[in-house]
Amino acid sequence: MGTGSEALWLGLVAAGGTLAAALIFSAVSALRLREAEQRLRDKEIDHQAVMDRLQENEYRLRAIIESEPECVKLQAADGTVLEINPAGLKLVDADSPEDIVGKRIYAVVAPEHAELYRENMRRVFAGEAVVYEFRSITLKGRTCWMETHAVPLRDARGAVYALLGITRDVTEHKLAEEQARRHQTELARVARLSTMGEMATGLAHELNQPLAAIANFARGCIRRLRGGDVAPSELIGPLEEVCRQAERASEVMRHVRDFVRKREPQLAGADINQIVRSVAKLTELETRQHGAAVRLELAPQLPRVLADPIMVEQVIGNLVRNSVEAMTEARSPRREITIRTGPNGGAGVEVEIADSGPGIDGALIDQVFDQFFTTKREGVGMGLSISRSIVESHGGTIRAESGAAGGATFRFSLQAAGQEAGGGERRHGLHR
Amino acid sequence: MSDATVFIVDDDEAVARSLRWLIESIRLEVETHASAHAFLDRFDPGRRGCLVLDVRMPGISGLELQQRLAARRAYHLPIIFITGHGDVQMAVRAVQAGAFDFVEKPFNDQDLLDRIQRAIAWDAAQRDRESQREQLRALFAGLTAREREVLGLVVEGLSNKAIALELGLSAKTVEFHRARVMEKLRARSLTDLVKLAMQLGAEA
Ligand SMILES: Nc1ncnc2c1ncn2[C@@H]1O[C@H](COP(=O)(O)OP(=O)(O)OP(=O)(O)O)[C@@H](O)[C@H]1O
Ligand SMILES: [Mg+2]
Repeated sequence: MGTGSEALWLGLVAAGGTLAAALIFSAVSALRLREAEQRLRDKEIDHQAVMDRLQENEYRLRAIIESEPECVKLQAADGTVLEINPAGLKLVDADSPEDIVGKRIYAVVAPEHAELYRENMRRVFAGEAVVYEFRSITLKGRTCWMETHAVPLRDARGAVYALLGITRDVTEHKLAEEQARRHQTELARVARLSTMGEMATGLAHELNQPLAAIANFARGCIRRLRGGDVAPSELIGPLEEVCRQAERASEVMRHVRDFVRKREPQLAGADINQIVRSVAKLTELETRQHGAAVRLELAPQLPRVLADPIMVEQVIGNLVRNSVEAMTEARSPRREITIRTGPNGGAGVEVEIADSGPGIDGALIDQVFDQFFTTKREGVGMGLSISRSIVESHGGTIRAESGAAGGATFRFSLQAAGQEAGGGERRHGLHR
Repeated sequence: MSDATVFIVDDDEAVARSLRWLIESIRLEVETHASAHAFLDRFDPGRRGCLVLDVRMPGISGLELQQRLAARRAYHLPIIFITGHGDVQMAVRAVQAGAFDFVEKPFNDQDLLDRIQRAIAWDAAQRDRESQREQLRALFAGLTAREREVLGLVVEGLSNKAIALELGLSAKTVEFHRARVMEKLRARSLTDLVKLAMQLGAEA
């Protein structure tokens, strides 16, 4: 076994599990041999022996690449696939090498990741070793996530002539990751955006109990009175019960008021665009899953607004979620949400959330802000009512519009910070 | 039916009391329990009536209570489930598992009371049928081996003569056994006898 192959084997053994490193190493040793060949040729000593060794090494390298369980490929600077091993053919669902060799790799890169892929190619051809992930759509239309380790291959003069890439299917890993993230987003959503909705459900049960008791006591009284065989004094106990249960119900309501009071906004100067970006990030997964895209059109140099950022996030989050739900429910072919910020008529700022959904029926548009108004099976009908309370507690207003062109538009205004005379922090109750 | 009791199991005391007040308006005996445990502890399978249960109870749920009752004895009190809005599916499952009926909240009082009456009547009928069967079993146990033999052949439609031939007895003896069987089982006619025998047969 020649020294070149020895180095190759050592390289493989040393690399242990990291086949990528081993293969890159072996490719490099092959290139070293090529350089040696050059030197030897210059010295004009036994040419044939070197050629044989080189040949032997290339066969060995090829054998390893051919049997490598992961996709190994060589690409030119323009993305043309020069060579690819059987594992690679399988990965892109090619039936034969002709399906992909000589073609551009972009044929199997998801369009939204083509630019990212190009950028990574540029870096490799500039001499860097890079690792990148991208979504792939195989020749048979299968979608999967890939991770590529790519290194530049240089010729004897050191110029990069190809990219050597080892690619792995990481779809499962990616899905698990996404699920974990979704779970986290869900948690954040529950904690932040739907506390009120959750509470309303619990509240409904808490209120139903005393109301059911009241109805039973009252009906029991009526039945006895109708029967005419009851002494008035017998009804006192049950009627007292009715009063107690009514008090119990109003106690439940008092808790709700306390809860709301605890959530008084903490108003301070805030960057509205920052708030919008943060909501966009928070709701990104949810919108993407429903095939909706969120576009931001944020005016630069807006005044800072007087706001409790968490609460304003809650408002925008509610509006975005309503849009997603409306477009999903209506199976809108185009699902777009645009969030715009800009100056309002006065010194403040206006935020607009517009969607490409079904819009709102003109007869209902005046009711959408009402508490418990909902057209959804699973809806509570609190989202918009809470949103309005929050906006009003900020000293702003909120309106709904349904354009002739379709889609619903919600607009709300916020005051600029520092415009109110008292200065410092201001508090508004959410109700009354 | 005067000995029937409506058992109410509800963790909400006020709701339980209000149900008692409502149900007592039709002069029924009511007994309330705050939990399935409390009810099971004091449960006497011999008591007649029906059970009114909230499907959503903390601790042992209504469905579980139903299963436990079913596990204790082949026959148990008919159960009427009260379900909240959106629990109808749960109630359907309960009925499939043997519950008598269910009412959805908010319910109409007359509707609930009607269902309770029906459950109590059904319970009484079940128990009457059961006690008749028991009586019959006792009567049958009083027959001698020979009398049972004769009964079997009578029911098969054989004449006295044929039975005498079959059993190697005189027609007169067969006549005598037959009369004893009729008397012991309190049957007035041949058709009566056949019906009783069929009831007994269904038992075996
Ligand atoms: N973007 C929209 N497009 C069409 N209809 C909408 C839109 N936003 C709100 N609506 C209508 O307004 C109703 C009330 O909205 P709201 O957010 O208050 O409650 P919900 O979304 O039904 O329930 P919840 O927010 O409590 O989960 C909705 O049920 C829907 O009919
Ligand atoms: Mg909503």
